[in-house]
Amino acid sequence: MIVEETLVNELKNKETQAKAFEVLVNTYKERLYWHIRRIVLNHNDADDVLQNTFVKVYRNIESFKGDSKLYSWIYRIATNESLTFLKQKSRKLGVTNSELQEELIEGLQADVYFEGEEIQLKLQQALATLPEKQKLVFNMKYFQEMKYEEISEVLETSVGGLKASYHLAVKKIETYLRGD
Amino acid sequence: MKKSHKNKFKTPEGYFDNFNERLIDKIIKEESIIPKHDGFEVPDDYFETFNKKIATKFEPKIIQLKPYRNYYYIAASIIAILVFTFLFNQNKESKVGFDDLAVTELDAYFDSNVLGLSDYEIADYIPVENIYLTDITYKNIEENTILDYLDENVDELDELNIMYDEFE
Repeated sequence: MIVEETLVNELKNKETQAKAFEVLVNTYKERLYWHIRRIVLNHNDADDVLQNTFVKVYRNIESFKGDSKLYSWIYRIATNESLTFLKQKSRKLGVTNSELQEELIEGLQADVYFEGEEIQLKLQQALATLPEKQKLVFNMKYFQEMKYEEISEVLETSVGGLKASYHLAVKKIETYLRGD
Repeated sequence: MKKSHKNKFKTPEGYFDNFNERLIDKIIKEESIIPKHDGFEVPDDYFETFNKKIATKFEPKIIQLKPYRNYYYIAASIIAILVFTFLFNQNKESKVGFDDLAVTELDAYFDSNVLGLSDYEIADYIPVENIYLTDITYKNIEENTILDYLDENVDELDELNIMYDEFE
Protein backbone atom coordinates (compact mmCIF):
# COMPACT_ATOMS: atom_id res chain seq x y z
CA MET A 1 0.00 0.00 0.00
CA ILE A 2 1.38 3.39 -0.93
CA VAL A 3 1.88 6.11 1.64
CA GLU A 4 0.12 9.08 0.15
CA GLU A 5 2.21 11.79 1.76
CA THR A 6 5.46 10.24 0.56
CA LEU A 7 4.06 9.78 -2.94
CA VAL A 8 2.89 13.39 -3.12
CA ASN A 9 6.32 14.64 -2.03
CA GLU A 10 8.01 12.44 -4.60
CA LEU A 11 5.63 13.70 -7.29
CA LYS A 12 6.59 17.27 -6.47
CA ASN A 13 10.31 16.52 -6.56
CA LYS A 14 11.78 16.71 -10.10
CA GLU A 15 14.27 13.93 -9.39
CA THR A 16 11.74 11.39 -8.16
CA GLN A 17 8.75 12.61 -10.20
CA ALA A 18 8.93 10.12 -13.09
CA LYS A 19 9.12 7.05 -10.86
CA ALA A 20 6.43 8.36 -8.50
CA PHE A 21 4.15 9.11 -11.42
CA GLU A 22 4.46 5.53 -12.61
CA VAL A 23 3.47 4.32 -9.14
CA LEU A 24 0.51 6.70 -9.19
CA VAL A 25 -0.65 5.48 -12.62
CA ASN A 26 -0.28 1.83 -11.60
CA THR A 27 -2.22 2.41 -8.40
CA TYR A 28 -5.16 4.29 -9.84
CA LYS A 29 -5.48 3.45 -13.55
CA GLU A 30 -7.94 0.58 -13.20
CA ARG A 31 -10.33 2.03 -10.69
CA LEU A 32 -10.27 5.45 -12.38
CA TYR A 33 -10.91 3.79 -15.73
CA TRP A 34 -14.06 2.09 -14.44
CA HIS A 35 -15.22 5.29 -12.77
CA ILE A 36 -14.79 7.23 -16.03
CA ARG A 37 -16.18 4.44 -18.23
CA ARG A 38 -19.43 4.39 -16.27
CA ILE A 39 -19.85 8.10 -16.96
CA VAL A 40 -18.84 8.28 -20.65
CA LEU A 41 -19.91 4.67 -21.49
CA ASN A 42 -17.69 4.27 -24.57
CA HIS A 43 -14.23 2.63 -24.20
CA ASN A 44 -12.33 4.97 -26.53
CA ASP A 45 -13.78 8.03 -24.82
CA ALA A 46 -12.93 6.54 -21.41
CA ASP A 47 -9.37 5.96 -22.59
CA ASP A 48 -9.03 9.60 -23.73
CA VAL A 49 -10.48 10.97 -20.51
CA LEU A 50 -8.30 8.70 -18.37
CA GLN A 51 -5.16 9.93 -20.14
CA ASN A 52 -6.26 13.55 -19.79
CA THR A 53 -6.94 12.95 -16.11
CA PHE A 54 -3.40 11.73 -15.47
CA VAL A 55 -1.91 14.55 -17.53
CA LYS A 56 -3.90 17.04 -15.46
CA VAL A 57 -2.82 15.38 -12.22
CA TYR A 58 0.82 15.54 -13.33
CA ARG A 59 0.61 19.19 -14.36
CA ASN A 60 -1.28 20.32 -11.28
CA ILE A 61 0.37 18.27 -8.55
CA GLU A 62 2.10 21.42 -7.30
CA SER A 63 -1.30 22.93 -6.52
CA PHE A 64 -2.32 19.87 -4.45
CA LYS A 65 -2.10 21.14 -0.89
CA GLY A 66 -3.09 17.97 0.88
CA ASP A 67 -6.35 19.40 2.27
CA SER A 68 -8.07 16.27 0.97
CA LYS A 69 -6.74 12.81 0.28
CA LEU A 70 -4.82 12.29 -2.96
CA TYR A 71 -7.23 9.64 -4.29
CA SER A 72 -10.26 11.87 -3.71
CA TRP A 73 -8.49 14.77 -5.46
CA ILE A 74 -7.71 12.51 -8.44
CA TYR A 75 -11.25 11.12 -8.48
CA ARG A 76 -12.61 14.68 -8.52
CA ILE A 77 -10.41 15.52 -11.51
CA ALA A 78 -11.56 12.33 -13.29
CA THR A 79 -15.21 13.14 -12.57
CA ASN A 80 -14.89 16.73 -13.80
CA GLU A 81 -12.96 15.65 -16.88
CA SER A 82 -15.64 13.07 -17.73
CA LEU A 83 -18.56 15.47 -17.27
CA THR A 84 -16.78 18.23 -19.20
CA PHE A 85 -16.03 15.72 -21.96
CA LEU A 86 -19.72 14.84 -22.26
CA LYS A 87 -20.74 18.50 -22.31
CA GLN A 88 -18.25 19.25 -25.05
CA LYS A 89 -19.38 16.20 -27.01
CA SER A 90 -23.06 17.18 -26.85
CA ARG A 91 -22.11 20.74 -27.85
CA LYS A 92 -20.08 19.49 -30.81
CA LEU A 93 -22.92 17.25 -31.98
CA GLY A 94 -25.49 19.98 -31.34
CA VAL A 95 -27.63 17.78 -29.09
CA THR A 96 -28.85 18.06 -25.51
CA ASN A 97 -27.29 16.03 -22.71
CA SER A 98 -30.24 13.62 -22.60
CA GLU A 99 -30.16 13.18 -26.40
CA LEU A 100 -26.45 12.39 -26.13
CA GLN A 101 -27.16 9.81 -23.41
CA GLU A 102 -29.67 8.13 -25.72
CA GLU A 103 -27.11 8.06 -28.54
CA LEU A 104 -24.44 6.63 -26.24
CA ILE A 105 -26.74 3.86 -25.03
CA GLU A 106 -27.74 3.04 -28.62
CA GLY A 107 -24.03 2.93 -29.45
CA LEU A 108 -23.46 0.30 -26.75
CA GLN A 109 -25.31 -2.30 -28.80
CA ALA A 110 -22.62 -2.11 -31.47
CA ASP A 111 -19.75 -1.68 -28.99
CA VAL A 112 -17.38 -4.66 -29.03
CA TYR A 113 -16.35 -3.78 -25.47
CA PHE A 114 -19.88 -4.03 -24.15
CA GLU A 115 -21.00 -7.58 -23.42
CA GLY A 116 -24.25 -6.65 -21.77
CA GLU A 117 -27.60 -8.12 -22.61
CA GLU A 118 -31.02 -6.53 -22.61
CA ILE A 119 -31.06 -6.09 -18.83
CA GLN A 120 -27.72 -4.22 -18.88
CA LEU A 121 -28.96 -1.92 -21.65
CA LYS A 122 -32.11 -1.29 -19.67
CA LEU A 123 -29.95 -0.53 -16.63
CA GLN A 124 -28.13 2.16 -18.61
CA GLN A 125 -31.46 3.59 -19.74
CA ALA A 126 -32.60 3.66 -16.12
CA LEU A 127 -29.37 5.38 -15.05
CA ALA A 128 -29.84 8.00 -17.77
CA THR A 129 -33.09 9.07 -16.09
CA LEU A 130 -31.33 9.84 -12.79
CA PRO A 131 -29.94 13.23 -11.76
CA GLU A 132 -26.16 13.45 -12.31
CA LYS A 133 -25.21 13.11 -8.66
CA GLN A 134 -27.52 10.15 -7.98
CA LYS A 135 -26.04 8.37 -10.98
CA LEU A 136 -22.49 8.97 -9.73
CA VAL A 137 -23.33 7.82 -6.21
CA PHE A 138 -25.05 4.69 -7.49
CA ASN A 139 -22.14 3.66 -9.74
CA MET A 140 -19.54 4.38 -7.07
CA LYS A 141 -21.42 2.43 -4.44
CA TYR A 142 -23.06 -0.43 -6.35
CA PHE A 143 -20.39 -1.27 -8.92
CA GLN A 144 -17.18 0.20 -7.50
CA GLU A 145 -18.14 -0.74 -3.93
CA MET A 146 -16.66 2.43 -2.46
CA LYS A 147 -17.37 3.39 1.13
CA TYR A 148 -19.71 6.30 1.82
CA GLU A 149 -16.82 8.16 3.49
CA GLU A 150 -14.75 7.84 0.33
CA ILE A 151 -17.62 8.94 -1.94
CA SER A 152 -18.29 11.79 0.45
CA GLU A 153 -14.73 13.07 0.04
CA VAL A 154 -14.87 12.82 -3.74
CA LEU A 155 -18.28 14.41 -4.23
CA GLU A 156 -17.97 16.73 -1.24
CA THR A 157 -21.41 15.73 0.03
CA SER A 158 -22.42 14.56 3.51
CA VAL A 159 -22.55 10.81 4.18
CA GLY A 160 -26.21 11.12 5.19
CA GLY A 161 -27.07 12.81 1.91
CA LEU A 162 -25.21 10.14 -0.03
CA LYS A 163 -27.04 7.30 1.72
CA ALA A 164 -30.37 8.90 0.88
CA SER A 165 -29.27 9.44 -2.74
CA TYR A 166 -28.10 5.85 -3.10
CA HIS A 167 -31.26 4.25 -1.72
CA LEU A 168 -33.40 6.55 -3.83
CA ALA A 169 -31.37 5.64 -6.92
CA VAL A 170 -31.74 1.90 -6.20
CA LYS A 171 -35.51 2.28 -5.85
CA LYS A 172 -35.84 4.30 -9.05
CA ILE A 173 -33.71 1.86 -11.06
CA GLU A 174 -35.65 -1.15 -9.74
CA THR A 175 -38.92 0.54 -10.62
CA TYR A 176 -37.63 1.27 -14.13
CA LEU A 177 -36.38 -2.29 -14.62
CA ARG A 178 -39.68 -3.77 -13.48
CA GLY A 179 -41.37 -1.55 -16.04
CA ASP A 180 -43.77 -0.11 -13.47
CA MET B 1 0.86 -23.89 33.33
CA LYS B 2 -2.10 -21.59 32.92
CA LYS B 3 -3.16 -20.99 29.33
CA SER B 4 -3.71 -17.45 28.15
CA HIS B 5 -7.30 -16.78 27.11
CA LYS B 6 -6.36 -13.65 25.27
CA ASN B 7 -7.69 -13.65 21.68
CA LYS B 8 -4.79 -13.87 19.27
CA PHE B 9 -6.86 -13.30 16.12
CA LYS B 10 -6.81 -9.90 14.51
CA THR B 11 -9.17 -8.11 12.12
CA PRO B 12 -8.38 -5.41 9.57
CA GLU B 13 -8.50 -1.87 10.94
CA GLY B 14 -12.03 -0.46 10.92
CA TYR B 15 -13.55 -3.87 10.12
CA PHE B 16 -16.35 -3.65 12.70
CA ASP B 17 -16.94 0.07 12.06
CA ASN B 18 -18.05 -0.65 8.50
CA PHE B 19 -19.63 -4.04 9.11
CA ASN B 20 -23.24 -2.83 9.25
CA GLU B 21 -22.83 -0.75 6.12
CA ARG B 22 -21.32 -3.64 4.19
CA LEU B 23 -24.01 -6.02 5.40
CA ILE B 24 -26.80 -3.69 4.27
CA ASP B 25 -25.08 -3.20 0.89
CA LYS B 26 -24.82 -6.97 0.47
CA ILE B 27 -28.48 -7.50 1.30
CA ILE B 28 -29.52 -4.75 -1.12
CA LYS B 29 -27.44 -6.33 -3.88
CA GLU B 30 -28.59 -9.88 -3.18
CA GLU B 31 -32.25 -8.97 -3.15
CA SER B 32 -32.19 -6.46 -5.96
CA ILE B 33 -33.17 -7.16 -9.54
CA ILE B 34 -30.41 -4.79 -10.64
CA PRO B 35 -27.75 -6.86 -12.48
CA LYS B 36 -24.49 -7.43 -10.61
CA HIS B 37 -22.40 -6.73 -13.70
CA ASP B 38 -23.01 -3.80 -16.01
CA GLY B 39 -21.56 -5.41 -19.14
CA PHE B 40 -18.57 -3.14 -19.71
CA GLU B 41 -15.36 -4.78 -20.92
CA VAL B 42 -11.90 -3.55 -21.92
CA PRO B 43 -9.48 -4.77 -24.61
CA ASP B 44 -7.33 -7.65 -23.31
CA ASP B 45 -4.03 -5.83 -22.81
CA TYR B 46 -5.45 -2.37 -22.19
CA PHE B 47 -4.17 -1.84 -18.65
CA GLU B 48 -0.81 -3.48 -19.42
CA THR B 49 -0.13 -1.08 -22.30
CA PHE B 50 -1.65 2.00 -20.71
CA ASN B 51 1.61 3.21 -19.10
CA LYS B 52 3.35 3.33 -22.48
CA LYS B 53 0.46 5.28 -23.92
CA ILE B 54 0.47 7.85 -21.13
CA ALA B 55 4.27 8.24 -21.47
CA THR B 56 3.83 9.47 -25.06
CA LYS B 57 1.68 12.31 -23.72
CA PHE B 58 4.77 13.81 -22.11
CA GLU B 59 7.05 13.59 -25.12
CA PRO B 60 7.94 17.07 -26.41
CA LYS B 61 6.00 18.05 -29.50
CA ILE B 62 7.38 20.28 -32.26
CA ILE B 63 4.67 22.54 -33.53
CA GLN B 64 5.46 24.61 -36.57
CA LEU B 65 2.74 27.19 -36.81
CA LYS B 66 4.84 28.99 -39.46
CA PRO B 67 6.59 26.19 -41.32
CA TYR B 68 9.73 27.05 -43.27
CA ARG B 69 8.05 25.50 -46.31
CA ASN B 70 6.46 28.93 -46.91
CA TYR B 71 9.88 30.47 -47.33
CA TYR B 72 10.72 27.82 -49.89
CA TYR B 73 7.61 28.85 -51.85
CA ILE B 74 8.68 32.49 -51.75
CA ALA B 75 12.22 31.61 -52.86
CA ALA B 76 10.86 29.42 -55.67
CA SER B 77 8.52 32.24 -56.78
CA ILE B 78 11.39 34.75 -56.93
CA ILE B 79 13.52 32.35 -58.97
CA ALA B 80 10.58 31.67 -61.32
CA ILE B 81 10.03 35.41 -61.85
CA LEU B 82 13.74 35.93 -62.62
CA VAL B 83 13.77 33.01 -65.09
CA PHE B 84 10.60 34.23 -66.88
CA THR B 85 11.94 37.80 -67.00
CA PHE B 86 15.18 36.51 -68.55
CA LEU B 87 13.33 34.35 -71.10
CA PHE B 88 10.88 37.17 -71.88
CA ASN B 89 13.75 39.57 -72.57
CA GLN B 90 15.45 36.96 -74.76
CA ASN B 91 12.37 36.54 -76.99
CA LYS B 92 11.33 40.17 -76.97
CA GLU B 93 9.95 41.37 -80.27
CA SER B 94 9.41 44.91 -81.41
CA LYS B 95 5.63 44.31 -81.85
CA VAL B 96 3.59 46.06 -79.16
CA GLY B 97 0.74 44.02 -77.65
CA PHE B 98 -1.83 44.15 -74.82
CA ASP B 99 0.75 42.79 -72.38
CA ASP B 100 2.91 45.84 -72.89
CA LEU B 101 0.33 48.10 -71.27
CA ALA B 102 1.32 49.13 -67.77
CA VAL B 103 -1.11 48.36 -64.95
CA THR B 104 -1.38 52.07 -64.19
CA GLU B 105 -2.53 52.69 -67.76
CA LEU B 106 -5.21 50.00 -67.42
CA ASP B 107 -6.36 51.50 -64.11
CA ALA B 108 -6.51 54.96 -65.69
CA TYR B 109 -8.61 53.57 -68.57
CA PHE B 110 -11.18 51.93 -66.25
CA ASP B 111 -11.31 55.05 -64.09
CA SER B 112 -12.10 57.31 -67.01
CA ASN B 113 -14.43 55.00 -68.95
CA VAL B 114 -17.76 53.57 -67.93
CA LEU B 115 -17.45 49.81 -67.96
CA GLY B 116 -21.13 49.20 -68.58
CA LEU B 117 -21.20 45.99 -66.49
CA SER B 118 -23.01 45.55 -63.17
CA ASP B 119 -21.39 43.85 -60.10
CA TYR B 120 -23.42 40.69 -60.81
CA GLU B 121 -22.25 40.60 -64.42
CA ILE B 122 -18.64 40.98 -63.29
CA ALA B 123 -19.19 38.22 -60.70
CA ASP B 124 -20.33 35.93 -63.52
CA TYR B 125 -16.90 36.18 -65.09
CA ILE B 126 -14.99 35.46 -61.87
CA PRO B 127 -14.91 31.80 -60.81
CA VAL B 128 -15.53 32.29 -57.07
CA GLU B 129 -16.48 28.64 -56.45
CA ASN B 130 -12.89 27.58 -55.99
CA ILE B 131 -11.78 30.51 -53.87
CA TYR B 132 -11.57 29.83 -50.15
CA LEU B 133 -10.93 32.13 -47.21
CA THR B 134 -7.66 30.32 -46.62
CA ASP B 135 -6.46 31.38 -50.10
CA ILE B 136 -6.14 34.94 -48.88
CA THR B 137 -5.12 34.23 -45.29
CA TYR B 138 -1.59 33.35 -44.27
CA LYS B 139 -1.79 29.57 -44.19
CA ASN B 140 -4.37 26.84 -43.80
CA ILE B 141 -3.66 25.61 -40.28
CA GLU B 142 -4.76 22.05 -39.54
CA GLU B 143 -7.40 21.76 -36.80
CA ASN B 144 -5.25 19.17 -35.02
CA THR B 145 -2.32 21.58 -35.00
CA ILE B 146 -4.50 24.23 -33.35
CA LEU B 147 -5.80 21.73 -30.78
CA ASP B 148 -2.26 20.48 -30.03
CA TYR B 149 -1.05 24.04 -29.68
CA LEU B 150 -3.89 24.92 -27.26
CA ASP B 151 -3.33 21.69 -25.37
CA GLU B 152 0.34 22.49 -24.92
CA ASN B 153 0.05 26.19 -24.20
CA VAL B 154 -3.28 26.75 -22.49
CA ASP B 155 -3.53 25.21 -19.05
CA GLU B 156 -7.03 26.28 -18.15
CA LEU B 157 -10.12 26.59 -20.30
CA ASP B 158 -10.78 29.85 -18.43
CA GLU B 159 -7.93 31.42 -20.38
CA LEU B 160 -9.95 31.00 -23.55
CA ASN B 161 -12.77 33.05 -22.04
CA ILE B 162 -15.28 30.42 -22.98
CA MET B 163 -18.66 31.18 -21.47
CA TYR B 164 -19.39 28.23 -19.24
CA ASP B 165 -23.08 28.98 -19.55
CA GLU B 166 -22.81 27.63 -23.06
CA PHE B 167 -22.01 24.22 -21.64
CA GLU B 168 -24.92 24.12 -19.31
